[in-house]
Amino acid sequence: MKQLQEVARILVTLALALIIGGIIMQLSGKDALNAYQVLWNSAVGTDRAIADTLLKATPLIFTGLATMVAFKAGIFNVGVEGSLYMGAFAAAWVGFTFIDLPGLALITLAFLVGGLAGGLWGAIPGYFKAWFKVDEVVTTIMLNYVAILFTEYLVLGPFFVPGMSNAMSAEVALQAQLPRIISRSQWNPSFFIAIGTFFVVLFMMRRMTLGYEVNVLGTNATFARWAGIPVRRLIVLVMFISGFIGGLAGAGQVLGVHYRFVAGFSRGLGFDGIVVALLGRNSPIGVLLAALFFGALRSGAATMEMFVRIPRDLIDIVQALIIFFIAIDIGFGWLRRRRQAPTEPSEPVAVAPAGD
Amino acid sequence: MEFLDLIVNVSASTLRLATPLILVAMAGLLSYQVGLINIALEGLMLIGAFVAVVLGVAAGSAWTGVLLAAIAGAIGGAFFALFVTDLRADLIVAGLAMNFLALGGTAYLLQILFNVQGSYTPADFASLPVLDIPGLSDMPFLGKLLFRHSPLVYVSWIIIPLTAIFLYRTVPGIHIRAVGEDPEAARTVGISVRGMQYLALVLGGLLCGLAGAHLSVGDLALFRENMTDGRGFIALAAVYFAAGRPRLAALACLLFGFFEALQFRLQTTSNIPTQFFQMMPYLMVVIMLVAISVRKEWQKG
Repeated sequence: MKQLQEVARILVTLALALIIGGIIMQLSGKDALNAYQVLWNSAVGTDRAIADTLLKATPLIFTGLATMVAFKAGIFNVGVEGSLYMGAFAAAWVGFTFIDLPGLALITLAFLVGGLAGGLWGAIPGYFKAWFKVDEVVTTIMLNYVAILFTEYLVLGPFFVPGMSNAMSAEVALQAQLPRIISRSQWNPSFFIAIGTFFVVLFMMRRMTLGYEVNVLGTNATFARWAGIPVRRLIVLVMFISGFIGGLAGAGQVLGVHYRFVAGFSRGLGFDGIVVALLGRNSPIGVLLAALFFGALRSGAATMEMFVRIPRDLIDIVQALIIFFIAIDIGFGWLRRRRQAPTEPSEPVAVAPAGD
Repeated sequence: MEFLDLIVNVSASTLRLATPLILVAMAGLLSYQVGLINIALEGLMLIGAFVAVVLGVAAGSAWTGVLLAAIAGAIGGAFFALFVTDLRADLIVAGLAMNFLALGGTAYLLQILFNVQGSYTPADFASLPVLDIPGLSDMPFLGKLLFRHSPLVYVSWIIIPLTAIFLYRTVPGIHIRAVGEDPEAARTVGISVRGMQYLALVLGGLLCGLAGAHLSVGDLALFRENMTDGRGFIALAAVYFAAGRPRLAALACLLFGFFEALQFRLQTTSNIPTQFFQMMPYLMVVIMLVAISVRKEWQKG
């Protein structure tokens, strides 16, 4: 019954956002119904449309899960974007360096190293939070910029490829390039790695002690401490896992879509992960569905822009509306608890009571 | 002599580049002092930039654009305040939404209104005129350094002491800080917590609008998608760097402005990619935050 209520709430949120999006289109002199029809058709209408939707959903599944894992522990990790960049570069580096390895080994290694790079990048603010009580929101935001600029520096400096006009790395070895599954779509097997990650996270949260401890920490940090959970180590570990999944997202984009590291390629996939985690009500299955939903919106929006001349930025507006609705939802008790958790530093940062 | 010219040039562009940072940092400072992490600065600034150029062109005057940008910023700040106070939205989530809305909204309107993608440069539209301070602007070196700037540069200089005076010498300012210090205690002595949060966010929004206007009509008249380019976050960085003190925050902005100016120079003269220097401000903030916290933990024993 409670779950049914949750689902109903999500549907109302989505419907409201889409209706307002429609009103905006009407106000700009476009036919909203027709636009949504085109969007729907180009998101799920044909095999190729479905493939494109799954393609767009792939990084969102990763970044959504990455954000969710941290949220579960009561940690507001805004730094998945940074982990994604570090992971993407690391994966590309493996891909164009160890070119003598056979395909499967090279791909596995690239994903692992990508995940590791993202994980270590995430663990840094985790360590600061756990040991020195430095608020993670500000540090992760700052470290995002460091990661974006640092990876750009790498491809322009130490890993510069002469003759390349844009800031991008060398191409990964041919055997490391994930094949496209159907023609005329970039949909590739990294989607299945995302699904695999989903099951691992599901298993971790539901069946493992770690998942239990994470839930306890997220629900009641004081109790977690009393229960003898090593809170500090757990915070670092959670941030590592969150960053690791973010790194996988980057690796997937490099090996499956771009075949090289391109500076600034993500343009907010990590931030989209926050939206996905929020819309998915912070549950693994919810995250998966929300990622598919946004994947459909994004792939549909590209076609919509082409055929009915509605800027795809409309989707950003719809996305913003969805977050606003989620932000004011009373049902999101855990968001409010976050502010009272004793692990928060006693800086002015934490004094911030969300309103009242 | 050539070297001196170089110094004057770099210093002058430091002041120019620091201007939007200073204005936004003072906005961030007000939020910081009332106890709210304001990540919506970026979005509010972008709205200001958009409004300044679009409505400025419509009204035929860059000054009108600046005024309307400030108003739009204040309205945006009030809208954000509505969410975080009355609707009890999570601060970070609402800030994120605000930024998405500004980014998507301005890009959408750019295409709907002008049918252009990416950037919009109005034809026959003059940006704010450079304001030469009579008498002073002709001084050797110092004239060019200090007294030949776009008007909002001077405004940013005035805003710094004004913010300090407001926060430390006026009743509303002291109330804002009281709320930031301890909302419960402030409430007990009869200060309206909600009112102070509104005040800080609306005034902050106004400053963000001005900062945005400086970007879009201050030197050149143009709007580019996402033209704020993370400046809202650099300013936020300056605020945390300064732990909420106005003069120190402004100094941090100058330092970050200097990095930016230096990087324009280095682009032509050095082999080190400028991204290396660009990431320094962000890195410094993280180090500062850790240092402050370590010291605090250490004092506690």
